[in-house]
Amino acid sequence: MIYFDNAATTMIKPLAVGRAVLRAMQTMASPGRGAHEPAMQAAKTVYNCRVEAAELFKVPEPEQIVFTMNATHGLNIAINNLAKEGTKVLVSGYEHNSVTRPLATAGADIHVASSPVFDGEEILYAFERELDWAELAVCTHVSNVFGFILPIYDIARLCHDKGVPLIVDASQSAGVLEVDYTRLGAEYIAMPGHKGLFGPQGTGILICAKAGEPLLCGGSGTDSIPQHMPKYLPDRLEAGTHNVCGIAGLLEGIRYVRSRGIGEIFKHENCLLKRMTEKLAELDGLELFTEECKEQSGVLSVRGKKISCEDFAAALAEEGICVRTGLHCAPYAHKSAGTLDTGTVRFSFSPFNTFEEVDGCCQFIKDLL
Amino acid sequence: MQYLIMCRSMTYAQRSVALLERSGISARVVKAPQSLSSNGCGYGVSLYRHFEEARELLKKNNLISGKLFFRKDNGEYQELV
Repeated sequence: MIYFDNAATTMIKPLAVGRAVLRAMQTMASPGRGAHEPAMQAAKTVYNCRVEAAELFKVPEPEQIVFTMNATHGLNIAINNLAKEGTKVLVSGYEHNSVTRPLATAGADIHVASSPVFDGEEILYAFERELDWAELAVCTHVSNVFGFILPIYDIARLCHDKGVPLIVDASQSAGVLEVDYTRLGAEYIAMPGHKGLFGPQGTGILICAKAGEPLLCGGSGTDSIPQHMPKYLPDRLEAGTHNVCGIAGLLEGIRYVRSRGIGEIFKHENCLLKRMTEKLAELDGLELFTEECKEQSGVLSVRGKKISCEDFAAALAEEGICVRTGLHCAPYAHKSAGTLDTGTVRFSFSPFNTFEEVDGCCQFIKDLL
Repeated sequence: MQYLIMCRSMTYAQRSVALLERSGISARVVKAPQSLSSNGCGYGVSLYRHFEEARELLKKNNLISGKLFFRKDNGEYQELV
């Protein structure tokens, strides 16, 4: 099997991740729910994960790291805090439904800072032009469909200059690109644990500037008499028992990222992207969405000229090559790129993919077309 | 003598212990007695030595948000003011 669906979930994990999940399941209980050894072991693991994540993302205090079930969960917390009925919200043209649906549900007035794909200057100009109107900005760091790296630090600077709060969706960048909370100065940064951080599915992180309102209420293990959630982070936003097994795995995933180095991970994925792009560009029957692999993470979207994306992906799946097809829960991105009517076939890489896998996949596509 | 520094939450207690241990002060996170937790269910930092240094260090790092106690020989806690 060749697994090229890492933008959805990195299935191949460092070995330590699986071991940690099993160890947690067999030896750990609930953090903050007792002083016995299994509860304290769980608390220690969860705390260590907060500390490692805070160091990786340059977050001043570990309690600003809130564990969520995925990026969508974190984005819902963030958006529910900052967007209300009629709030004027500026978004990029590359947002996922995990951003746009909560905004639509809140009744926000959504405006898109449109730009062609892989045009960082244009998107920056669009934000600059539209920010005077906005009361809130929500922006992805990397498009999940095209791997387009948005100039998020420049966008953050513009938001800061104009006093517009910013929510960053780091779903595709956490673990692959530098996500520096201190430099971004965002109100919230949401990310999954199960993609570039190599945690298990069901894990996520929300980096918070302040506590805000909780999405869920319930037990927190502390301050149990008052019938409202504690006012302080992380307890305020972490009602109920933690996903300790998931967080134990996530801790090992983050340690892997820190040990291998984000720069090294990006470089490897970018080399795989270049290799695949060069090989597929030689074929007549394909349309590739890339701009010489600049401003692009390890994600490549393509379309067949004579074969539908679904048939293309089905043929790959039969060969044991795992990719994602369709709209990737990101209709805004497809609208921006003009692919809303067809969708694309997306190849997405991880540090565990090899050049041999890329070559094998490209050979199969050549034969298929 | 045992000292107990009440903390805002489990995470703050863990941060406090980590800070103290980095400074060579042995401490551990404990679940505080209900009688000391006005809001019910609290966590604190327990230590036996270097209390004054620990208090100063935690204060300097904005980690003291609760009351401070020492435990008498009869097991009762007495607040330190």
